[in-house]
Amino acid sequence: MYEEPYRWIEAIGNRRQYLDDQFRQGSPVIGIACDAGILLMTMSKGTPKLYEIYDRLALGGMGHPADLEKLRFNLLEMAHVEGFNRSPSDVTGTRMVKYGIAPVIKQAFEEVFRAPFIVKILLAELGQKAGKDRFLTINFDGTFEEKTQCAVLAASAAIEQEMTAYLQQQPVVSLEQAVTAAVYSWAIGDRAQRQAREESRDQPKGQDAAVRLANDPDLLHEHVRQCMNDMTIECALLDRHMPGASKYRMLEPDELGRSLPNDLGRPTT
Amino acid sequence: MGMQGDFYQLLKEQGYVLGLSGEAGAHQQLTTATTILAFKYLDGVLVAGDRRATAGNLVMYDRTDKVLEIDRHSVMAIAGVPATAYEMARILEHSFKYYRRTQLQELSFEGKLRALSKLLKENVPAALAGTGTVAPIFAGYDLEHDAAKIYFYDILGAEFEGVEYAVSGSGSPTIRGILHYVNTWGEQPLSEMPEEQATVQTLRLLTSAAEFDSATGGVNRDANLYPVVKFITASGVKTMPDPQLRSLFELNVSRGL
Repeated sequence: MYEEPYRWIEAIGNRRQYLDDQFRQGSPVIGIACDAGILLMTMSKGTPKLYEIYDRLALGGMGHPADLEKLRFNLLEMAHVEGFNRSPSDVTGTRMVKYGIAPVIKQAFEEVFRAPFIVKILLAELGQKAGKDRFLTINFDGTFEEKTQCAVLAASAAIEQEMTAYLQQQPVVSLEQAVTAAVYSWAIGDRAQRQAREESRDQPKGQDAAVRLANDPDLLHEHVRQCMNDMTIECALLDRHMPGASKYRMLEPDELGRSLPNDLGRPTT
Repeated sequence: MGMQGDFYQLLKEQGYVLGLSGEAGAHQQLTTATTILAFKYLDGVLVAGDRRATAGNLVMYDRTDKVLEIDRHSVMAIAGVPATAYEMARILEHSFKYYRRTQLQELSFEGKLRALSKLLKENVPAALAGTGTVAPIFAGYDLEHDAAKIYFYDILGAEFEGVEYAVSGSGSPTIRGILHYVNTWGEQPLSEMPEEQATVQTLRLLTSAAEFDSATGGVNRDANLYPVVKFITASGVKTMPDPQLRSLFELNVSRGL
Protein backbone atom coordinates (compact mmCIF):
# COMPACT_ATOMS: atom_id res chain seq x y z
CA MET A 1 0.00 0.00 0.00
CA TYR A 2 2.95 2.35 0.57
CA GLU A 3 3.86 2.36 -3.10
CA GLU A 4 1.19 5.02 -3.58
CA PRO A 5 2.85 8.45 -2.97
CA TYR A 6 0.05 9.71 -0.75
CA ARG A 7 0.23 6.63 1.45
CA TRP A 8 3.95 7.02 1.78
CA ILE A 9 3.65 10.68 2.80
CA GLU A 10 0.96 9.76 5.29
CA ALA A 11 3.15 7.01 6.73
CA ILE A 12 6.08 9.39 7.09
CA GLY A 13 3.80 11.93 8.75
CA ASN A 14 2.61 9.32 11.23
CA ARG A 15 6.16 8.31 11.88
CA ARG A 16 7.18 11.91 12.56
CA GLN A 17 4.33 12.31 15.03
CA TYR A 18 5.22 9.02 16.72
CA LEU A 19 8.84 10.09 17.10
CA ASP A 20 7.89 13.55 18.37
CA ASP A 21 5.89 11.86 21.11
CA GLN A 22 8.78 9.55 22.03
CA PHE A 23 11.17 12.40 22.73
CA ARG A 24 8.89 14.07 25.27
CA GLN A 25 10.11 11.43 27.71
CA GLY A 26 13.76 12.21 27.06
CA SER A 27 16.27 14.31 28.93
CA PRO A 28 17.53 17.43 27.10
CA VAL A 29 21.21 17.73 26.24
CA ILE A 30 23.25 20.95 26.24
CA GLY A 31 26.59 21.74 24.65
CA ILE A 32 28.30 25.05 25.33
CA ALA A 33 31.77 26.43 24.63
CA CYS A 34 33.79 28.16 27.34
CA ASP A 35 37.42 29.01 28.12
CA ALA A 36 38.09 25.52 29.45
CA GLY A 37 36.74 23.82 26.33
CA ILE A 38 33.32 22.46 25.42
CA LEU A 39 30.94 21.38 28.15
CA LEU A 40 28.28 18.75 27.50
CA MET A 41 25.57 18.38 30.12
CA THR A 42 22.45 16.34 30.71
CA MET A 43 20.65 14.56 33.55
CA SER A 44 20.03 10.86 33.48
CA LYS A 45 18.63 7.97 35.47
CA GLY A 46 21.57 5.61 35.21
CA THR A 47 22.09 5.17 31.47
CA PRO A 48 24.83 7.54 30.35
CA LYS A 49 24.04 9.87 27.47
CA LEU A 50 27.41 11.55 26.93
CA TYR A 51 30.27 9.78 25.18
CA GLU A 52 33.78 10.22 23.85
CA ILE A 53 33.97 9.63 20.08
CA TYR A 54 37.46 10.71 19.08
CA ASP A 55 40.31 12.89 20.30
CA ARG A 56 38.33 16.11 19.90
CA LEU A 57 34.82 14.80 19.35
CA ALA A 58 32.14 14.08 21.94
CA LEU A 59 28.54 13.00 21.59
CA GLY A 60 25.39 13.69 23.54
CA GLY A 61 22.21 11.85 22.68
CA MET A 62 18.48 11.72 23.33
CA GLY A 63 16.26 8.79 22.56
CA HIS A 64 16.34 5.02 22.72
CA PRO A 65 19.56 3.70 24.33
CA ALA A 66 19.89 0.80 21.85
CA ASP A 67 19.59 3.12 18.84
CA LEU A 68 22.04 5.54 20.39
CA GLU A 69 24.50 2.69 20.96
CA LYS A 70 24.24 1.54 17.37
CA LEU A 71 24.94 5.00 15.99
CA ARG A 72 27.67 5.60 18.56
CA PHE A 73 29.45 2.47 17.34
CA ASN A 74 29.03 3.59 13.72
CA LEU A 75 30.68 6.89 14.61
CA LEU A 76 33.46 5.22 16.59
CA GLU A 77 34.29 2.83 13.77
CA MET A 78 34.30 5.57 11.17
CA ALA A 79 36.35 7.96 13.26
CA HIS A 80 39.02 5.44 14.24
CA VAL A 81 39.44 3.86 10.82
CA GLU A 82 39.63 7.32 9.26
CA GLY A 83 42.06 8.53 11.92
CA PHE A 84 44.28 5.51 11.32
CA ASN A 85 44.13 5.48 7.53
CA ARG A 86 44.54 9.24 7.13
CA SER A 87 45.27 11.24 10.27
CA PRO A 88 43.47 12.36 13.44
CA SER A 89 43.25 15.87 11.93
CA ASP A 90 41.02 14.48 9.18
CA VAL A 91 38.45 13.18 11.65
CA THR A 92 36.08 16.15 11.75
CA GLY A 93 32.55 16.39 13.05
CA THR A 94 31.27 17.69 9.73
CA ARG A 95 32.61 14.70 7.80
CA MET A 96 31.36 12.22 10.40
CA VAL A 97 27.86 13.68 10.20
CA LYS A 98 27.50 14.60 6.53
CA TYR A 99 29.02 11.48 5.04
CA GLY A 100 28.55 9.16 7.99
CA ILE A 101 25.51 8.92 10.20
CA ALA A 102 23.11 11.55 8.81
CA PRO A 103 22.44 9.53 5.62
CA VAL A 104 22.01 6.37 7.70
CA ILE A 105 19.44 8.04 9.96
CA LYS A 106 17.60 9.58 7.02
CA GLN A 107 17.40 6.27 5.19
CA ALA A 108 16.00 4.48 8.23
CA PHE A 109 13.47 7.27 8.75
CA GLU A 110 12.17 7.14 5.18
CA GLU A 111 12.02 3.38 4.77
CA VAL A 112 8.59 2.83 6.22
CA PHE A 113 9.01 -0.94 6.53
CA ARG A 114 12.05 -0.47 8.75
CA ALA A 115 12.12 0.88 12.28
CA PRO A 116 13.48 4.43 12.43
CA PHE A 117 16.25 5.44 14.83
CA ILE A 118 14.59 6.95 17.87
CA VAL A 119 17.47 9.29 18.43
CA LYS A 120 18.65 12.88 18.30
CA ILE A 121 22.37 13.54 18.38
CA LEU A 122 24.59 16.42 19.36
CA LEU A 123 28.19 16.13 18.20
CA ALA A 124 30.65 18.60 19.73
CA GLU A 125 34.03 19.26 18.17
CA LEU A 126 36.81 21.06 20.01
CA GLY A 127 38.63 23.34 17.56
CA GLN A 128 42.40 23.40 17.20
CA LYS A 129 42.22 27.12 17.94
CA ALA A 130 39.97 29.17 20.25
CA GLY A 131 36.80 30.22 18.46
CA LYS A 132 36.88 27.21 16.14
CA ASP A 133 34.63 24.99 18.26
CA ARG A 134 31.71 23.42 16.40
CA PHE A 135 28.43 21.75 17.26
CA LEU A 136 26.40 19.56 14.95
CA THR A 137 22.89 18.45 15.78
CA ILE A 138 21.11 15.68 13.90
CA ASN A 139 17.38 15.16 14.06
CA PHE A 140 15.64 11.78 13.88
CA ASP A 141 14.92 12.34 10.16
CA GLY A 142 18.59 12.88 9.33
CA THR A 143 18.49 16.66 8.98
CA PHE A 144 21.49 18.31 10.57
CA GLU A 145 22.57 21.81 11.58
CA GLU A 146 25.94 23.30 12.42
CA LYS A 147 26.32 25.81 15.23
CA THR A 148 29.19 27.59 16.90
CA GLN A 149 28.74 28.82 20.48
CA CYS A 150 26.16 26.41 21.85
CA ALA A 151 23.66 23.76 20.82
CA VAL A 152 20.87 21.80 22.50
CA LEU A 153 18.70 18.75 22.03
CA ALA A 154 15.13 18.68 23.29
CA ALA A 155 11.77 17.17 22.40
CA SER A 156 10.74 19.90 19.96
CA ALA A 157 12.23 22.75 17.96
CA ALA A 158 10.26 25.27 20.01
CA ILE A 159 11.75 24.06 23.27
CA GLU A 160 15.22 23.97 21.74
CA GLN A 161 14.80 27.59 20.68
CA GLU A 162 13.90 28.65 24.21
CA MET A 163 16.82 26.78 25.72
CA THR A 164 19.21 28.27 23.16
CA ALA A 165 17.85 31.77 23.69
CA TYR A 166 18.48 31.39 27.43
CA LEU A 167 22.04 30.14 26.86
CA GLN A 168 22.81 33.01 24.51
CA GLN A 169 21.78 35.53 27.16
CA GLN A 170 24.16 34.13 29.77
CA PRO A 171 27.70 35.44 30.23
CA VAL A 172 29.69 32.22 29.74
CA VAL A 173 33.45 32.47 30.07
CA SER A 174 34.50 30.12 32.87
CA LEU A 175 33.64 26.45 33.35
CA GLU A 176 31.52 27.32 36.39
CA GLN A 177 29.47 29.76 34.33
CA ALA A 178 29.06 27.14 31.62
CA VAL A 179 27.84 24.53 34.13
CA THR A 180 25.37 26.98 35.68
CA ALA A 181 24.01 28.09 32.31
CA ALA A 182 23.73 24.48 31.10
CA VAL A 183 21.93 23.28 34.23
CA TYR A 184 19.33 26.05 34.10
CA SER A 185 18.90 25.65 30.36
CA TRP A 186 18.29 21.96 30.97
CA ALA A 187 15.64 22.91 33.56
CA ILE A 188 13.87 25.08 30.98
CA GLY A 189 13.81 22.23 28.51
CA ASP A 190 12.83 19.52 30.95
CA ARG A 191 10.08 21.58 32.55
CA ALA A 192 8.68 22.46 29.12
CA GLN A 193 8.72 18.82 28.04
CA ARG A 194 6.87 17.77 31.16
CA GLN A 195 4.35 20.49 30.53
CA ALA A 196 3.94 19.37 26.93
CA ARG A 197 3.26 15.81 28.04
CA GLU A 198 0.41 17.05 30.16
CA GLU A 199 -1.07 19.28 27.49
CA SER A 200 -3.19 18.06 24.64
CA ARG A 201 -1.49 17.58 21.30
CA ASP A 202 -3.38 20.50 19.77
CA GLN A 203 -1.68 23.04 22.00
CA PRO A 204 1.81 24.47 21.43
CA LYS A 205 4.44 22.01 22.65
CA GLY A 206 5.69 23.50 25.82
CA GLN A 207 6.76 26.86 24.47
CA ASP A 208 4.68 28.91 26.91
CA ALA A 209 5.98 26.97 29.89
CA ALA A 210 9.55 27.45 28.71
CA VAL A 211 9.11 31.21 28.41
CA ARG A 212 7.56 31.45 31.87
CA LEU A 213 10.37 29.48 33.48
CA ALA A 214 13.17 31.35 31.75
CA ASN A 215 12.00 34.48 33.50
CA ASP A 216 11.99 32.91 36.94
CA PRO A 217 15.44 31.83 38.19
CA ASP A 218 14.05 30.55 41.50
CA LEU A 219 11.70 28.16 39.72
CA LEU A 220 14.54 26.89 37.53
CA HIS A 221 16.71 26.29 40.55
CA GLU A 222 13.94 24.49 42.40
CA HIS A 223 13.17 22.32 39.38
CA VAL A 224 16.79 21.16 39.12
CA ARG A 225 16.94 20.51 42.86
CA GLN A 226 13.84 18.32 42.68
CA CYS A 227 15.11 16.42 39.65
CA MET A 228 18.33 15.65 41.47
CA ASN A 229 16.34 13.41 43.83
CA ASP A 230 16.09 10.68 41.22
CA MET A 231 18.44 11.81 38.45
CA THR A 232 22.17 12.38 38.17
CA ILE A 233 23.84 15.36 36.57
CA GLU A 234 26.18 14.17 33.84
CA CYS A 235 28.86 16.58 32.65
CA ALA A 236 31.66 15.92 30.18
CA LEU A 237 34.34 18.31 29.03
CA LEU A 238 36.40 18.43 25.85
CA ASP A 239 39.24 19.99 27.79
CA ARG A 240 41.23 22.54 25.79
CA HIS A 241 44.12 22.40 28.26
CA MET A 242 44.40 18.64 28.64
CA PRO A 243 47.84 17.30 27.66
CA GLY A 244 47.98 14.61 24.97
CA ALA A 245 45.78 14.01 21.96
CA SER A 246 42.58 12.89 23.73
CA LYS A 247 40.72 15.86 25.18
CA TYR A 248 37.60 14.19 26.59
CA ARG A 249 36.99 13.73 30.28
CA MET A 250 34.03 13.47 32.62
CA LEU A 251 33.84 16.15 35.30
CA GLU A 252 34.84 14.60 38.62
CA PRO A 253 32.15 14.74 41.32
CA ASP A 254 34.17 17.25 43.38
CA GLU A 255 34.76 19.49 40.40
CA LEU A 256 31.11 19.30 39.39
CA GLY A 257 30.02 19.99 42.97
CA ARG A 258 32.15 23.14 43.04
CA SER A 259 30.79 24.31 39.69
CA LEU A 260 27.10 23.87 40.42
CA PRO A 261 25.12 26.90 41.53
CA ASN A 262 24.21 27.51 45.19
CA ASP A 263 23.00 24.47 47.12
CA LEU A 264 22.99 22.11 44.11
CA GLY A 265 26.62 21.20 44.62
CA ARG A 266 26.04 18.25 46.91
CA PRO A 267 27.95 15.06 46.12
CA THR A 268 26.92 13.50 42.83
CA THR A 269 27.85 10.28 41.12
CA MET B 1 32.92 -7.41 15.31
CA GLY B 2 33.12 -3.79 16.31
CA MET B 3 30.97 -4.54 19.33
CA GLN B 4 33.95 -6.38 20.79
CA GLY B 5 36.04 -3.24 20.78
CA ASP B 6 38.81 -4.84 18.73
CA PHE B 7 40.22 -2.19 16.42
CA TYR B 8 42.79 -4.44 14.78
CA GLN B 9 40.08 -6.92 13.86
CA LEU B 10 38.08 -4.05 12.38
CA LEU B 11 41.09 -3.03 10.27
CA LYS B 12 41.60 -6.58 9.05
CA GLU B 13 37.93 -6.85 8.06
CA GLN B 14 38.57 -3.83 5.85
CA GLY B 15 41.49 -5.56 4.14
CA TYR B 16 44.39 -4.18 6.16
CA VAL B 17 47.55 -6.33 6.28
CA LEU B 18 50.44 -5.62 8.63
CA GLY B 19 53.98 -6.08 7.31
CA LEU B 20 55.49 -6.79 3.92
CA SER B 21 55.65 -10.11 2.16
CA GLY B 22 58.76 -12.16 2.86
CA GLU B 23 60.64 -11.53 -0.36
CA ALA B 24 59.74 -7.89 -0.87
CA GLY B 25 62.79 -6.30 0.72
CA ALA B 26 65.07 -9.24 1.31
CA HIS B 27 68.11 -7.66 -0.33
CA GLN B 28 67.51 -4.06 0.70
CA GLN B 29 69.56 -2.13 3.26
CA LEU B 30 66.84 -1.53 5.81
CA THR B 31 66.76 1.30 8.27
CA THR B 32 67.03 -0.02 11.81
CA ALA B 33 67.04 1.58 15.22
CA THR B 34 69.17 0.68 18.21
CA THR B 35 69.53 1.08 22.00
CA ILE B 36 66.47 1.31 24.22
CA LEU B 37 66.14 0.63 27.93
CA ALA B 38 63.60 0.75 30.73
CA PHE B 39 63.95 0.36 34.47
CA LYS B 40 61.85 0.91 37.52
CA TYR B 41 62.83 3.93 39.60
CA LEU B 42 61.39 5.45 42.76
CA ASP B 43 58.15 6.88 41.29
CA GLY B 44 57.43 4.52 38.42
CA VAL B 45 59.26 3.43 35.32
CA LEU B 46 61.81 5.26 33.16
CA VAL B 47 62.01 4.48 29.45
CA ALA B 48 64.76 5.88 27.23
CA GLY B 49 66.27 5.48 23.80
CA ASP B 50 69.03 6.88 21.65
CA ARG B 51 68.05 8.72 18.49
CA ARG B 52 70.06 7.18 15.68
CA ALA B 53 68.56 5.26 12.76
CA THR B 54 71.01 3.40 10.52
CA ALA B 55 70.92 1.45 7.26
CA GLY B 56 74.02 -0.72 7.16
CA ASN B 57 76.95 1.63 7.70
CA LEU B 58 74.92 4.69 6.86
CA VAL B 59 73.48 6.98 9.51
CA MET B 60 70.03 7.68 8.09
CA TYR B 61 68.76 10.03 10.77
CA ASP B 62 69.92 11.32 14.13
CA ARG B 63 66.67 12.58 15.60
CA THR B 64 64.53 9.46 15.67
CA ASP B 65 62.05 9.19 18.50
CA LYS B 66 62.14 5.56 19.61
CA VAL B 67 60.15 6.03 22.81
CA LEU B 68 56.54 6.35 21.71
CA GLU B 69 53.71 7.33 23.99
CA ILE B 70 50.84 4.95 23.29
CA ASP B 71 48.37 6.28 25.84
CA ARG B 72 48.35 8.25 29.08
CA HIS B 73 50.00 5.43 31.03
CA SER B 74 51.95 3.34 28.55
CA VAL B 75 54.95 3.68 26.31
CA MET B 76 56.47 1.48 23.62
CA ALA B 77 60.19 1.76 22.94
CA ILE B 78 61.24 0.42 19.57
CA ALA B 79 64.31 -1.41 18.29
CA GLY B 80 64.33 -2.75 14.76
CA VAL B 81 62.77 -1.52 11.54
CA PRO B 82 61.10 1.84 12.27
CA ALA B 83 58.53 1.56 9.48
CA THR B 84 57.01 -1.56 11.03
CA ALA B 85 57.51 -0.36 14.59
CA TYR B 86 55.78 2.96 13.97
CA GLU B 87 52.92 1.15 12.25
CA MET B 88 52.55 -1.13 15.27
CA ALA B 89 52.58 1.88 17.57
CA ARG B 90 49.83 3.53 15.53
CA ILE B 91 47.71 0.39 15.62
CA LEU B 92 48.19 0.08 19.38
CA GLU B 93 47.39 3.73 20.00
CA HIS B 94 44.15 3.47 18.04
CA SER B 95 43.33 0.06 19.53
CA PHE B 96 43.60 1.26 23.12
CA LYS B 97 41.58 4.38 22.43
CA TYR B 98 38.98 2.43 20.48
CA TYR B 99 38.60 -0.07 23.28
CA ARG B 100 38.24 2.66 25.91
CA ARG B 101 35.70 4.57 23.85
CA THR B 102 33.59 1.58 22.83
CA GLN B 103 33.69 -0.38 26.07
CA LEU B 104 33.67 2.69 28.34
CA GLN B 105 36.58 1.33 30.35
CA GLU B 106 40.35 1.11 29.94
CA LEU B 107 41.85 -2.00 28.41
CA SER B 108 43.66 -3.91 31.14
CA PHE B 109 47.45 -3.80 31.22
CA GLU B 110 47.50 -7.52 30.37
CA GLY B 111 45.25 -6.79 27.40
CA LYS B 112 47.65 -4.12 26.18
CA LEU B 113 50.59 -6.52 26.45
CA ARG B 114 48.69 -9.15 24.53
CA ALA B 115 47.76 -6.67 21.79
CA LEU B 116 51.44 -5.99 21.07
CA SER B 117 52.23 -9.70 21.21
CA LYS B 118 49.54 -10.38 18.59
CA LEU B 119 50.95 -7.73 16.24
CA LEU B 120 54.46 -9.18 16.55
CA LYS B 121 53.13 -12.64 15.88
CA GLU B 122 51.31 -11.48 12.75
CA ASN B 123 54.52 -9.81 11.64
CA VAL B 124 56.62 -12.99 11.91
CA PRO B 125 56.96 -13.60 8.13
CA ALA B 126 58.30 -10.06 7.63
CA ALA B 127 60.49 -10.36 10.73
CA LEU B 128 62.06 -13.62 9.58
CA ALA B 129 62.62 -12.17 6.11
CA GLY B 130 64.44 -9.28 7.75
CA THR B 131 62.09 -6.69 6.34
CA GLY B 132 60.14 -5.99 9.48
CA THR B 133 62.14 -7.05 12.53
CA VAL B 134 60.93 -5.33 15.69
CA ALA B 135 62.00 -6.16 19.27
CA PRO B 136 60.17 -3.63 21.46
CA ILE B 137 59.90 -2.84 25.13
CA PHE B 138 56.45 -2.07 26.51
CA ALA B 139 56.31 -0.25 29.81
CA GLY B 140 53.58 1.42 31.74
CA TYR B 141 51.80 2.08 34.96
CA ASP B 142 49.09 -0.46 35.79
CA LEU B 143 46.51 1.64 37.63
CA GLU B 144 44.46 -1.42 38.50
CA HIS B 145 47.34 -2.92 40.48
CA ASP B 146 49.04 0.38 41.30
CA ALA B 147 52.36 -0.81 39.93
CA ALA B 148 54.92 0.13 37.28
CA LYS B 149 55.58 -2.70 34.83
CA ILE B 150 58.12 -3.46 32.12
CA TYR B 151 57.92 -6.14 29.42
CA PHE B 152 60.21 -6.92 26.53
CA TYR B 153 59.49 -9.02 23.45
CA ASP B 154 61.32 -11.20 21.00
CA ILE B 155 60.61 -10.79 17.30
CA LEU B 156 58.17 -13.71 17.35
CA GLY B 157 55.90 -12.07 19.88
CA ALA B 158 56.90 -13.78 23.14
CA GLU B 159 56.64 -11.39 26.07
CA PHE B 160 58.95 -11.42 29.10
CA GLU B 161 58.65 -9.37 32.24
CA GLY B 162 61.62 -7.20 33.08
CA VAL B 163 61.24 -7.33 36.83
CA GLU B 164 63.71 -4.53 37.40
CA TYR B 165 64.88 -3.51 33.94
CA ALA B 166 64.84 -4.42 30.26
CA VAL B 167 67.00 -3.56 27.26
CA SER B 168 66.79 -4.10 23.53
CA GLY B 169 68.63 -3.18 20.33
CA SER B 170 72.16 -3.64 19.06
CA GLY B 171 73.72 -1.61 21.88
CA SER B 172 71.86 -3.49 24.59
CA PRO B 173 74.50 -6.17 25.41
CA THR B 174 76.84 -3.40 26.58
CA ILE B 175 74.42 -1.82 28.98
CA ARG B 176 72.75 -4.99 30.19
CA GLY B 177 75.88 -5.88 32.15
CA ILE B 178 76.19 -2.35 33.51
CA LEU B 179 72.55 -2.33 34.62
CA HIS B 180 73.07 -5.62 36.46
CA TYR B 181 76.18 -4.26 38.14
CA VAL B 182 74.63 -0.94 39.15
CA ASN B 183 71.44 -2.56 40.38
CA THR B 184 73.26 -5.24 42.41
CA TRP B 185 76.34 -3.49 43.76
CA GLY B 186 75.67 0.20 43.21
CA GLU B 187 75.06 2.61 46.09
CA GLN B 188 71.35 1.90 45.80
CA PRO B 189 69.16 -0.32 43.58
CA LEU B 190 67.63 1.27 40.51
CA SER B 191 64.16 1.06 42.02
CA GLU B 192 65.19 3.42 44.85
CA MET B 193 66.66 6.11 42.65
CA PRO B 194 64.84 9.43 42.42
CA GLU B 195 64.04 10.86 39.00
CA GLU B 196 67.18 12.93 38.57
CA GLN B 197 69.56 10.20 39.60
CA ALA B 198 67.79 7.70 37.37
CA THR B 199 68.20 10.13 34.47
CA VAL B 200 71.92 10.51 35.12
CA GLN B 201 72.31 6.72 35.08
CA THR B 202 70.37 6.60 31.82
CA LEU B 203 72.58 9.20 30.15
CA ARG B 204 75.69 7.29 31.29
CA LEU B 205 74.24 3.99 30.03
CA LEU B 206 73.35 5.34 26.59
CA THR B 207 76.70 7.10 26.30
CA SER B 208 78.40 3.77 27.07
CA ALA B 209 76.27 1.99 24.46
CA ALA B 210 77.23 4.60 21.87
CA GLU B 211 80.89 4.09 22.75
CA PHE B 212 80.81 0.43 21.72
CA ASP B 213 77.99 0.29 19.19
CA SER B 214 78.21 2.41 16.04
CA ALA B 215 74.49 2.04 15.43
CA THR B 216 73.68 3.80 18.71
CA GLY B 217 73.73 7.59 18.71
CA GLY B 218 75.20 9.25 21.77
CA VAL B 219 74.86 12.79 23.01
CA ASN B 220 75.85 15.53 20.60
CA ARG B 221 76.00 18.76 22.54
CA ASP B 222 76.96 20.86 19.52
CA ALA B 223 73.79 19.75 17.75
CA ASN B 224 71.80 19.95 21.01
CA LEU B 225 70.97 16.28 20.57
CA TYR B 226 70.01 14.23 23.61
CA PRO B 227 68.32 10.87 24.10
CA VAL B 228 64.58 10.69 24.68
CA VAL B 229 63.83 10.03 28.36
CA LYS B 230 60.24 9.46 29.52
CA PHE B 231 58.82 8.74 32.96
CA ILE B 232 55.59 6.87 33.58
CA THR B 233 53.98 7.29 36.97
CA ALA B 234 50.46 7.01 38.35
CA SER B 235 49.78 10.51 37.04
CA GLY B 236 50.79 9.69 33.47
CA VAL B 237 53.67 9.99 31.00
CA LYS B 238 56.06 12.93 30.97
CA THR B 239 59.16 13.67 28.94
CA MET B 240 62.32 15.22 30.37
CA PRO B 241 63.01 18.41 28.41
CA ASP B 242 66.33 18.80 26.57
CA PRO B 243 67.62 21.75 28.67
CA GLN B 244 67.30 19.61 31.79
CA LEU B 245 69.04 16.70 30.07
CA ARG B 246 71.82 19.05 28.97
CA SER B 247 72.32 20.32 32.49
CA LEU B 248 72.43 16.81 33.99
CA PHE B 249 74.77 15.63 31.26
CA GLU B 250 77.23 18.47 31.77
CA LEU B 251 77.24 18.08 35.54
CA ASN B 252 77.32 14.30 35.84
CA VAL B 253 78.29 12.62 32.59
CA SER B 254 80.62 14.73 30.51
CA ARG B 255 83.77 14.25 32.67
CA GLY B 256 86.57 13.56 30.22
CA LEU B 257 84.22 13.14 27.25
